[in-house]
Amino acid sequence: MNGPMSRRALLALTARLAKQSCVVLTLPMVLSGCERARQSATEGALFTTLNADEASELAAIASRILPSDETPGANEAGVIHFMDHVLGDGRDDELVLLRAGLLELQSMVQQEFNTPSFASLDSSQQDELLTSIESTQFFGTMRFLTVAGMFALPEYGGSADLPGYRVIGFESRHFWQPPFGYYDADYAARGE
Amino acid sequence: MAEAANSVPRFDTRTEVDFVIIGSGAAGGIMARELSVAGFSVVLLEQGPHLQAADFRHDEWAYDVNNELTWSARQGHPQTFRKSEDEEAVPVRQALGYAHNVGGSSVHFSGNFWRFRPIDFMEASVKGSIAGTNFADWPISYEELEPYYSRVDWEIGVSGLQGPWDPPRSRDYPCPPMPIKGSDVLLERAAKQLGLNPYPAPVAILSQPHNGRPACTHCGFCNGYGCEMNAKSSTMIAMIPQALASGNCELRTGCTAARIETDDAGRVTEVVYWETDGSVQAQRAKAAVVCANGAETPRLLLLSASNRFPDGLANSSGMVGKNLMFNGYSTVAGLFEQPVNAYKSIPATRVVHDYYELPSSLGFYGGGGIDGRHPTRGLPMGLAMSSSLFGGPSWGSEFKRNLQREFTHTAAFDGHTTSLPVSSNSVSLDPVVKDKWGRPALRCTYKDHPDDIATMKFFYDLSNELMSAAGAIKQAGFYPENGQNGNVHLLGTCRMGNDPASSVVDRFHRSHDVPNLFMVDGSSLVTSGRGQPTMTIMALAFRAADNLIQAARRGEV
Repeated sequence: MNGPMSRRALLALTARLAKQSCVVLTLPMVLSGCERARQSATEGALFTTLNADEASELAAIASRILPSDETPGANEAGVIHFMDHVLGDGRDDELVLLRAGLLELQSMVQQEFNTPSFASLDSSQQDELLTSIESTQFFGTMRFLTVAGMFALPEYGGSADLPGYRVIGFESRHFWQPPFGYYDADYAARGE
Repeated sequence: MAEAANSVPRFDTRTEVDFVIIGSGAAGGIMARELSVAGFSVVLLEQGPHLQAADFRHDEWAYDVNNELTWSARQGHPQTFRKSEDEEAVPVRQALGYAHNVGGSSVHFSGNFWRFRPIDFMEASVKGSIAGTNFADWPISYEELEPYYSRVDWEIGVSGLQGPWDPPRSRDYPCPPMPIKGSDVLLERAAKQLGLNPYPAPVAILSQPHNGRPACTHCGFCNGYGCEMNAKSSTMIAMIPQALASGNCELRTGCTAARIETDDAGRVTEVVYWETDGSVQAQRAKAAVVCANGAETPRLLLLSASNRFPDGLANSSGMVGKNLMFNGYSTVAGLFEQPVNAYKSIPATRVVHDYYELPSSLGFYGGGGIDGRHPTRGLPMGLAMSSSLFGGPSWGSEFKRNLQREFTHTAAFDGHTTSLPVSSNSVSLDPVVKDKWGRPALRCTYKDHPDDIATMKFFYDLSNELMSAAGAIKQAGFYPENGQNGNVHLLGTCRMGNDPASSVVDRFHRSHDVPNLFMVDGSSLVTSGRGQPTMTIMALAFRAADNLIQAARRGEV
């Protein structure tokens, strides 16, 4: 089948499988997942864990880790909203580490560029600075949360349309049929 | 599944039931179903929740990062790890991985269901002893276990095709093999070029409707995830509903076994456990069956030490917790011209078993198999977390561009190999770190035997050769040349044997020391097999239940 599975197709599938198998299928879960995704709105959302300055600085770092270029980046994925959400949910160690690391980074910014804000630097200055701190725990944690936020489900605060999936070519479906890719299609065509 | 035909019983904790079973996983789910359907009263204790298909999600943040199924210190269950007994173990996120829910790890496993072969049960006699190990024959043969393997095929649900080198079977597979994936087309073609014999992988995932359950819809979230379709053959879906429908089994979830109590005669009287809210209960029973897995079963026995059993219950041999075996592994990822899309469908659909036994001329013991997979279990976040498969930056625009190719245009050829039983590799009680109940944390001590490392290297080299033959543009891989720091196969820690001096349970899984205590799970394994133990754990459970039912009817428990 081509194109993402619609709710109608899913209902039809469920009915067909249920006839074959007398099993109660998992439709409510799939649909509630759709509902949750729709409800998750990141535009203009308020921050609950980070303050506005921290959010703007950390978002600027996340945007260099996964930049917006020919494909969407951390910004479009609402990574900063994901971070705000999960850092307030039993990840105190990481929150403390990020706050301390950010202050250090900002003092480096002040020394080198005579401005207090990482976000105000141009992207090559930002990349240069981040490269110099690549091996720190601060950067490691930022990379971890940025990557996680790019691919985490919208219920954790990020963007509802999961642009990370588009970046890597992952189609999120609950149903596929062979052939799955080039080589198994070729295998079938050759009758191997 | 069908609604329970009989009402679910509520047993009084102060009245003896026939059996209390600790753990509802691969083995415990089968024991509960078999014993309850045979008419015995059963209380089944499970520390996790009763999740069902509708609860499972494609949620990497919850499952892979936050260990929602497998639990870690975040959920109050810290573990410690060290490589050798002279080191102090340090807290780790997870050394011994297993799912905490009804169905146990059969819920989140990959479902690779290789049977052991006749050689696995008598390999020490054939190959000879190996220095520094407790390598031994099993007290049972493949022929004795075969009928129970076939019961697993049909009652749990396995898809596959009998291969020319596969061990003999009394019944065909109930379901045909799963459709081949691109990653396994690449493996199959490469293997044939090298003169090897790739074959459809047997899996505990349904290729067609079976036993009232539907076929797999190829969603791709098997390894580490619960099946949303009930197509994966967990005991959660294949066994537990039947146990509950018998009217003889009470499932108590959120109940963590604290200790097993014995009387002056050295017989089990009751199992003490915590309910979720911390209140303490104790279930009286005529016999206890411990199916808590190769980590938690020995831990519970060690925690049940008493004046009569100062070194832990059922531990006169000193073997409780010893001989931990993980299985070794290796992986080689390759980048290809065209989309492989190995993220779709089940983990593996072909296996190469030509090196099930490595020739002794190599100078070390070992063997295993290779299957084709996605390099990061088909997981988007998993791939991005792992940085870069073939080198290159780990952030920035180039990293993003690499991810795109690495997600869809790659395959991995993974080796799954033997581990030798070594007495210093163990599960024990940490002297310092405590869990949320105040119990000593699980402490894992593990260093792969040199032969195990050599075997992993052999399969790593073979995978590289196969990957080149497959025409990979780039390839890179890994095997733990300095040893593993953890695993999800937890084997050998209450080994089965005829001699009470060197084993914990007898050939029917009965404790040599405590006549009404049985241990049935990965801890019973004498040797590790070639990397896919759950099929054998389940067959052992069917066999153990069969014998236990007969013994109970004779009044011999």
